Amino acid sequence: MFRSKPNLAATGPVTESIAASPGIEGGAGANAPTLAADAGVLAGGARAAAGTPFNSKAEAAGLVKSADILLLASLFLITLGGYHIHAMLTMGDWDFWIDWKDRRFWPTVLPIMLVTFPAAAQAYFWESYRLPFGATFLVIALLTGEWINRYTNFWGWTYFPISLVWPTSLVPGALFLDIVLLLSRSFIVTAIVGAMGWGLLLYPTNWPILAPYHQATEQYGLLMSLADLIGFEYVRTSMPEYLRFVERGTMRTFGKDVVAVAAFFSGFVSILVYFWWWYVGKLFSTTKYTTGV
Amino acid sequence: MKTSMFSTLARHAKRQAGRLWALGLAVGLAASMAGAGPADAHGEKSQAAFLRMRTLNWYDVKWSKTSVNVNEEMEITGKLHIMEAWPVAVAKPEVAFLNVGEPGPVLVREGSWLGGKFVPRSLSLELGKTYEFRVLLKGRRPGRFHVHTQLSVQTGGPIIGPGQWIEIKGDMANFTNPVTLLNGEIIDLESYKISNIYFWHALWFIAGCVWIGYWFRKRGFVGRYIAVASGKGEELVTPQERQIGAVVLAVTLLVVIVSYAITASEFPRTIPLQAGNIRAIPALDIPESPVKVLYERGTYKVPGRELIATYKITNNGKEPVRIGEFATASLRFLNPDVYTQKVDYPDYLLADRGLSLSDNAPIAPGETKEITVKVQDARWDTERLADLAYDVDSSFAGLLFFFTPSGGRYEVEIGGPVIPEFLPV
Repeated sequence: MFRSKPNLAATGPVTESIAASPGIEGGAGANAPTLAADAGVLAGGARAAAGTPFNSKAEAAGLVKSADILLLASLFLITLGGYHIHAMLTMGDWDFWIDWKDRRFWPTVLPIMLVTFPAAAQAYFWESYRLPFGATFLVIALLTGEWINRYTNFWGWTYFPISLVWPTSLVPGALFLDIVLLLSRSFIVTAIVGAMGWGLLLYPTNWPILAPYHQATEQYGLLMSLADLIGFEYVRTSMPEYLRFVERGTMRTFGKDVVAVAAFFSGFVSILVYFWWWYVGKLFSTTKYTTGV
Repeated sequence: MKTSMFSTLARHAKRQAGRLWALGLAVGLAASMAGAGPADAHGEKSQAAFLRMRTLNWYDVKWSKTSVNVNEEMEITGKLHIMEAWPVAVAKPEVAFLNVGEPGPVLVREGSWLGGKFVPRSLSLELGKTYEFRVLLKGRRPGRFHVHTQLSVQTGGPIIGPGQWIEIKGDMANFTNPVTLLNGEIIDLESYKISNIYFWHALWFIAGCVWIGYWFRKRGFVGRYIAVASGKGEELVTPQERQIGAVVLAVTLLVVIVSYAITASEFPRTIPLQAGNIRAIPALDIPESPVKVLYERGTYKVPGRELIATYKITNNGKEPVRIGEFATASLRFLNPDVYTQKVDYPDYLLADRGLSLSDNAPIAPGETKEITVKVQDARWDTERLADLAYDVDSSFAGLLFFFTPSGGRYEVEIGGPVIPEFLPV
């Protein structure tokens, strides 16, 4: 259909060189045009002779830009869906509810479960494009999905206050992962330094949001944090208190310094998970599984 | 001629088959949706009959109001009997939670008490004991909602109690939820620090988008892919871009650290989430009943929706007693000879003529009588207790209430195996 479009460029014939591609795994560039002639509206035979499907440089550039944007939008929606489902299934309640955001399990489970897709995305975006935004891209997609869910479903539909259902802020950890990869150009360094930072940054990143809800109040002779009180007062019929998987006692050796231990443990496991998921990302950054489609 | 007409019609139908199929599907879908009503209940009927009959018995349940304004309080009070007949298939209520069944927080729960203890957390209950409960609620969202009592039991799931329709009037925008902090400050829990949540999320979201946009704006995907594929990937990231990355990293860490420090100074006294079980809940001190009941035999007639059970009843008290009520699974079956006044209880759970006796005369002090109690009502079926006949442990349980002329009341837990009768004999 693009072949029949009129040529918009009014200048004389231009020979454009587009970097040749050896055509890896049949992806974009496998049969990439190497020459674009711009000589008015070329006849079909003339274009064939010129070896390009495009009428002009502008048309080629426009199509490439369109392809970029389509790919960006498609990847955003695909990763939003995939990562969001993964997140809800593996650490959903810790992220859904403020009275699950404790000192031990929340900073442990979330980074470990959520470093997965960003690691795979970094493998894809960095190896294929040298784009250092895989983790940030995934986290922005996840948060977009989460906010749509929390605002329309949890608040708009069921009227839970946003203070009960806000999602965990993950962007600083993702930026950390991406920039470590950018600076080191090594996925091993990114796994060791970046994934550790990813784990360590979760709690301090979210503390400005969470801290006000950890103020104390006395309710009928019982000490409660505001987070506990929000969870209690705003009734969740199918969420009895005992379902909460939260710290129910101290770490005996570490006393109240639970967060640091949890964060380091989380960072350590995130390193291992990062390696694994980087290879998952590499494994699926190919079109070979779809060649038969 | 006829053959020609039919073949023409057949050809026409064949050509239109796709459209006809789509039209049929649309009509079918529309027809199936026409009968769909609003979802009113909380799935209590889906729970097995034995589970609802043999675990708990909520009685003397009262809703202080059935119509409240936004910000107006109401309470549900009553008694909760934990049955001795607790089935082996359900974990004992050693970790349980007194809950409310409502469609989202249409009423906020300001407090709930069991045995006089404030119980915002999980608690431990004992079989055979009866506890007084109270739930204090406050109207939040206008509408008409079915509000239940509910006890959730770990590994056993929710066991729902009776429900009542509550009308909430007003405007949710006027709802406030003041809470006093330990430092004396009063905050509105409904909206407290929500703008702070939006601020931090928006800030980091924008930062993330800018980072993505910064890298995407130059060459996008296709150009970069071609460059990487042709071995020029290393040229794609310039030293200047790495410096920018380093600066972004430094700023990110700085913002995290500084905001953490500011927050720590703004909220120097914070506590962790509070958790743990509440034990030693005081049970009601109910004097031992002078009425002794021995269950002899029972049958459940499936077509007639009747539970017929024979008991040997001994009255060791000083007054004559009469059987006035059988309560099970939130249903109340009343003896109209005893309950002569209208009882205030949700109609869908009240069979005000559902209990009849083989001998309606009072049981005199010192007397022992064999009485057959017939509990019959369509509510056996509408509340799906008729499934009793299909349970793996075909047993029932409930509370039998005895009344004295002076107004005394004795509740006795009864129950045992029942034999179903599937066809009229």
